[in-house]
Amino acid sequence: MSAAAIHSDDQHHGDHGHHKETFISKYIFSMDHKMISKQFLITGIIMGTIGMLMSLIFRLQLAYPETSFPIFETILGEWGKGGKIDPNFYLALITIHGTIMVFFVLTAGLSGTFSNLLIPLQVGARDMASPFLNMLSYWFFFTSSVLMLSSLFVQGGPASAGWTIYPPLSALPKAIPGSGTGMTLWLVSMIVFIVSSLLGSINYVATVINMRTKGMKMTRMPLTIWAFLFTAILGILSFPVLFGGSLLLVFDRSFGTSFYLNEIPADLAGGIERVGGSPILFQHLFWFLGHPEVYIILLPALGLTSEVIATNARKPIFGYRAMIGSIMAIALLSFIVWGHHMFITGMNPFLGSVFMLGTLIIAVPSAVKTFNYLGTLWKGNLRLNPQMMFAIGLVSFFISGGLTGIFLGNAALDINLHDTYFVVAHFHLVMGSAAIFGMICGIYHWFPKMFGRMMNESLGQIHFWLTIVSAYCVFFPMHFMGLAGVPRRYYAFTAYDQFNVFVDMNKFITYAAFVGGIAQFIFLFNFFYSMFKGKKAVQNPWESNTMEWTTPVEHLHGNWPGEIPHVYRWPYDYSVPGHDKDFIPQITPDYGQTDPLTEAKVVPAEDRKKIPTLEKEEAVLFSLAKRWLGFA
Amino acid sequence: MKHLKIKASFVLMIAMILFSSSSVFAQDMTTDAAEAAKSTASNINWLIAGIAILLVFIIGMIFDILSKVGDVQKKQVINWGKINAYLALVFLIVGMSAFAWEMTVHGKLTLFTLPSASAHSEEYDNMFMITLWLTGIVFVITHILLFWYTYKYKEDKKRKALFYPDNHKLELLWTIVPAFVLTILVVRGLIVWSDMTTSKDKDAMNIEVFGYQFAWNARYSGADNKLGKYDFRQMGIVNALGVDSTKEFAGDDVITTELHIPVNKAIYLHFRAKDVIHSAYLPHFRAQMNVVPGLPTKFDFTPTLTTNEMRVKLENPNFDYILLCNKICGSAHYRMKMKVIVDTQADFDKWLKEQPALTAKGTETNSLHSFLSKENPIASN
Repeated sequence: MSAAAIHSDDQHHGDHGHHKETFISKYIFSMDHKMISKQFLITGIIMGTIGMLMSLIFRLQLAYPETSFPIFETILGEWGKGGKIDPNFYLALITIHGTIMVFFVLTAGLSGTFSNLLIPLQVGARDMASPFLNMLSYWFFFTSSVLMLSSLFVQGGPASAGWTIYPPLSALPKAIPGSGTGMTLWLVSMIVFIVSSLLGSINYVATVINMRTKGMKMTRMPLTIWAFLFTAILGILSFPVLFGGSLLLVFDRSFGTSFYLNEIPADLAGGIERVGGSPILFQHLFWFLGHPEVYIILLPALGLTSEVIATNARKPIFGYRAMIGSIMAIALLSFIVWGHHMFITGMNPFLGSVFMLGTLIIAVPSAVKTFNYLGTLWKGNLRLNPQMMFAIGLVSFFISGGLTGIFLGNAALDINLHDTYFVVAHFHLVMGSAAIFGMICGIYHWFPKMFGRMMNESLGQIHFWLTIVSAYCVFFPMHFMGLAGVPRRYYAFTAYDQFNVFVDMNKFITYAAFVGGIAQFIFLFNFFYSMFKGKKAVQNPWESNTMEWTTPVEHLHGNWPGEIPHVYRWPYDYSVPGHDKDFIPQITPDYGQTDPLTEAKVVPAEDRKKIPTLEKEEAVLFSLAKRWLGFA
Repeated sequence: MKHLKIKASFVLMIAMILFSSSSVFAQDMTTDAAEAAKSTASNINWLIAGIAILLVFIIGMIFDILSKVGDVQKKQVINWGKINAYLALVFLIVGMSAFAWEMTVHGKLTLFTLPSASAHSEEYDNMFMITLWLTGIVFVITHILLFWYTYKYKEDKKRKALFYPDNHKLELLWTIVPAFVLTILVVRGLIVWSDMTTSKDKDAMNIEVFGYQFAWNARYSGADNKLGKYDFRQMGIVNALGVDSTKEFAGDDVITTELHIPVNKAIYLHFRAKDVIHSAYLPHFRAQMNVVPGLPTKFDFTPTLTTNEMRVKLENPNFDYILLCNKICGSAHYRMKMKVIVDTQADFDKWLKEQPALTAKGTETNSLHSFLSKENPIASN
């Protein structure tokens, strides 16, 4: 099939059925963005399951450091001798768990899935700007997944220097067994992954900029697309830095250079004395990606939930422009705050204060986003289906995890909190749980679009409640361990008397983690069962405004059977006064409407007078509070 | 047929529960008394896990049956909207109580309940408490709003949501207020940061902390308060730290495996690593600094409570300050620690005198110095 045929809008081809589609071209080397998004999703889910199972294994170790589990010897062999996990393998587990979750699930699995699915469908394009690059992007991702998993089976085990792979630990095979072949595979896998991510991102940006249908102005794009656009830009600008950084580490490891090594005696470094480099240089390069990476993970999740919350609150998203503005602000600021991961590396304190200032400023756009979510829920008509619950869960985690970020972003407080369990709790809430909730929320919402069937609602609700309760039970108590000075990445706390008080807490966390793990199997069952046996979906099951719900349920290459519809309005015309239905799809003509955003100053429908304006006397705090709590 | 299937699975479940619990009792009988308690405990955990899985399964089935009933009767039997609204309320109340419980019960286990052990820790703790209060208030308010709205505005087919896309004043308000609060935190934070990172005392005692896989060493600068030069090429089995004892200032250096420091005296720690990055973390003193091979780092602080005073205050005779490794560094990372003992000046001098210096001559100088300092306390302070 030629790309040109797919892209021509003006004259539609009725010959989609005539394409020769073999099994290979349809399901494996597919160039259809919908199929590629499914491939990303299922690979991401498989990787996520592996990452989760790893976390359960090391949670058992943390809760029962003295107990031997014969099952470990059965499944881990050499690494679980006598039913006890090897300390080196424990470090390998946390490393690969982190890597898989951050890159393979929450970067590729989340952004890859939903950018691919939604960008062409929501901006009104027949496919991505380059379907071929899109296909390559998936297959590079697949290759890097296979490489990463294969590192579990090599001599010395997989990389075990933490997912941040700081040299010299990652550069010196003598320092830890995992820094042998396992680390080489990690680096190669990551380089392939970056290629995949860049191919995808370039495609997303090109599609959003160039291929919007008629009438789809930038200010009429759903917030999902805005989030994907900025995610892609962040990826394009930051991933190459890690590419370079990893390449230099490959040189240090394999070719005897010393970019990251200084004053390392020859016997430690493969017979060559290493002088002149700086280990801290790697941290700068890593976190120059690493911090934007946090937002590469989080922004798509926030975009998806913005859409889901607006749809299911039957209300326009509150402050559309402020939402776009805060996405932009977060994206911009994320490039100048990477140093807050390095406050105690001995950097110049003045530099530290600059990074601290930037970091805490990010809290402002984040707060705006949170309040806008609350503003959207206020006086809505909430359909509390699973995706909506997960979206609300995301807001909750975003608040909880975001607030602890204010502690860690403060350079002074970071001195005593750095690398403790407080950090573990913080990023698992704000980046782990929140982004996973965004991803699951997206899956529940767009499952009918992807597979033409509905997921089971009851199972979804049970999944939600078990997940949110267990996630809080796992991560909330960790804050207190961190505040007591318990360091992260410890194989056991038995060597320290003062950490004995946390034995019970560690057990409790492990139980909660297992409940959470079981809940994910409910989800997996629901997902795969519904894929084949679910209720058949209707075209627009959630009564949503955006364009993807105007395509037929059955997928066809090119998305719309006829001409691509034109767009006449913004995506959030929910519960517009004077209409029978509470939603007006974007493609509904309304020639009188020029730009809904410039006109949509507060025009409350039913109770125009009740809306508080700040100048008026009655708008004192009490009445405002009454209103915001919904009593007025 | 369908009913049969459901019944059959119920029977199966009950059978499984009975089987698993009976196996617990069976174990109890067969194992001897000493091991009985242990094996039962671990078996019961598995039993609880099994029951939890079964419960989830049963609940799922009940909902499945109810929704099928609903399909047949053409009306909604389970209204998840309503259930979720009430569950959100329950979650809010239980969650907030759990939050309060955590703060009071687990909050007691944190470092902030200990007496402050270094000069800057009071300032640090104040900063922490201010941040905790501000974020805590925001946490509670936003969560009350979030889950209260979820409850309050659950779907009602008779109602229509309010079309309310924008309110610039409101948005301006919730941009400016967080910005203002953060300004306070930033300004205060910068003050504390600069206080903690600038060294005030020029006469601080220089001590080197040397980290390697997987232990720590301390090197005291001796009577001259100057650390001798080192050369990483000389690091070996005999001379682990690579200090060249023939060089200037090195002779009187003292190398130990415990870190003793005198109370109420500024301590200037110089960090050095042999192989990989470590991090010297002294939680009780609110002090931490990465220890990087080939890149000198430093941290200075003044301890204010001796180990003995702390033991008395905590009524815990086993209490000890520690320095632990807080940067992943290899298989025994979790055991890489050094005992820190804060002594009175007299005890410290006595202890240091007993430690051999790198050269015999250095030991002599050190003894002389501590002898002098006892006679004339001004010399040491």
